[in-house]
Amino acid sequence: MNRNAEASLLVGASLLASLGVAMVNFTLGRGFDAQVALTFVVWILSFGSVSLALRRWAPAANPYLLPLAAILAAIGFTEIYRLDADLAAIQRWSLLLAGAAAALVLFLLRGEGVRQLRRYRYLFLTVGVLLLLLPLLPDSFPIHGAEINGSRLWVRFRGLSFQPGELAKLFLALFLASYLADNHVAMSVHTRRVFGLGFPPLRHFGPIIIAGGVAFIVLVYQRDLGASLLLFALFVGMAYIATGRRSYLAAGGLFVAVSGVVAYQAFAHVQRRVDAWIRPFDDYSDTGYQIVQALFAMGSGSISGSGIGLGRPDLIPAAATDFIFAAVAEEMGFAGSVAVIAAYALLVAAGFGIALRTRDVFRKFLAASLTIVLGVQTLLILAGVLRLFPVTGITLPFMSYGGSSLLANMILVALLARISHTGRSV
Amino acid sequence: MPALFLNILKLIFLALVYLFLWQIARSIGAHVGPGQRSKKTKVADELAVIRSETMAGQTIRIGAGIVIGRSEEANFVIDDTYASDFHARIGQQQDKVLLTDLGSTNGTYVNGRRITVPTSLGKGDTVQIGKTIFEVR
Repeated sequence: MNRNAEASLLVGASLLASLGVAMVNFTLGRGFDAQVALTFVVWILSFGSVSLALRRWAPAANPYLLPLAAILAAIGFTEIYRLDADLAAIQRWSLLLAGAAAALVLFLLRGEGVRQLRRYRYLFLTVGVLLLLLPLLPDSFPIHGAEINGSRLWVRFRGLSFQPGELAKLFLALFLASYLADNHVAMSVHTRRVFGLGFPPLRHFGPIIIAGGVAFIVLVYQRDLGASLLLFALFVGMAYIATGRRSYLAAGGLFVAVSGVVAYQAFAHVQRRVDAWIRPFDDYSDTGYQIVQALFAMGSGSISGSGIGLGRPDLIPAAATDFIFAAVAEEMGFAGSVAVIAAYALLVAAGFGIALRTRDVFRKFLAASLTIVLGVQTLLILAGVLRLFPVTGITLPFMSYGGSSLLANMILVALLARISHTGRSV
Repeated sequence: MPALFLNILKLIFLALVYLFLWQIARSIGAHVGPGQRSKKTKVADELAVIRSETMAGQTIRIGAGIVIGRSEEANFVIDDTYASDFHARIGQQQDKVLLTDLGSTNGTYVNGRRITVPTSLGKGDTVQIGKTIFEVR
């Protein structure tokens, strides 16, 4: 019953994806070629395989996660195809791969799978940190790091490039859920009070301090402001969720404020981002260019947008990746951007709903931390594009062009769905 | 009139996106939130253990009245070294549910405040005994 609702919504999302492609073809005069049908088939194959895996191994799972991911991917893909048909072709292959990987994860976690993940926490921590640090491998190695746009986030092997940081987030979320499931009681005991807030013994701040350290390394050596903030928000947010103690939030906020000021003083790349955020028009032609172009694009979009294929989102640097939201806001307007934000809000609400309804602590915390990863990532990049926050250069889940991001987020949604299947059982 | 046609096409696309989201938003309500809210009774009659090392997830019926404590003779034996042998009593009086601390060492807390006099409980209140936290349902 639930699964049938999911299937029909998925067909709807697939039709929307091919309708978007058809509209681009029509307005840009690309002709009605095989792209329209191909897009529909890829959507059905990719999301259909995950849906079938859910039907088989998690029939009681929440049926709305996958359709929400599918429609976000459809809207994003329409813009990617509009910007660059070659990128879109690669994105279609990535989507197929991501769907297959998510189905494989569901297969591996059938039966008691999720519960068993709790045991391997230090393996996950090691894998996560190694993945994060992988791009630092020197260029002479066969598998080596690569720097694009001043951030060292990519790993190259022969012709293939990959962003391991995207998968690292999943491993760190797994580690955190398992660690907190065993330690949250001890971490919530107060031993002293400072400024009206109770504080637990100092050693329970250990994970927070480690998180700060990892985030700092990522910030300094890979120049990746986004991943750094995301990881830190994940650790602090989870410490708060697991213990209900505001002191973790206070300590985390203080740490971010202090290290933010220090990072601004010490690192040129942070300084450039912040300056471009506060005064983008001062250096319009250089550092502020991307933000200003995005602002013009969104402003010209008006209520219902310029129409798909009728705007100029190609003028925004990185429009297909980090700034895809600006492209959507220009061509689908305020209405389209609100729809996108609503879809993310529903996804996050569903995620926290799953966490609330799950009794087993480990799975509860895992659902919460996966939702935080998805939500904070979306929030950071949307705020960056809308100039509410410095641009952090992370991808918008499901919408941005990029195979690693698509893969990681599909697996994330599959994990959430798997947790919702066993929700209320202990 | 290609311009008009494109405009209509654009609006149709947006309308379809909203229709899709509406379908999901309409049915997602049941899937969000803690659930199990359907069994609504007027008076609180149950305590659920929401934080404990060993008893999380258990529920206790209040009924006419119960005594919570570490002693084997308490109605609800609590596995918590910070609780006293006979720690607190919960009973019904007229239409109220009253919580009384029985002179415990570490005190009884309602919504984070230590109680000194019998306190009336409503649904959603939290009761802390030792390190164990209950929610009134």
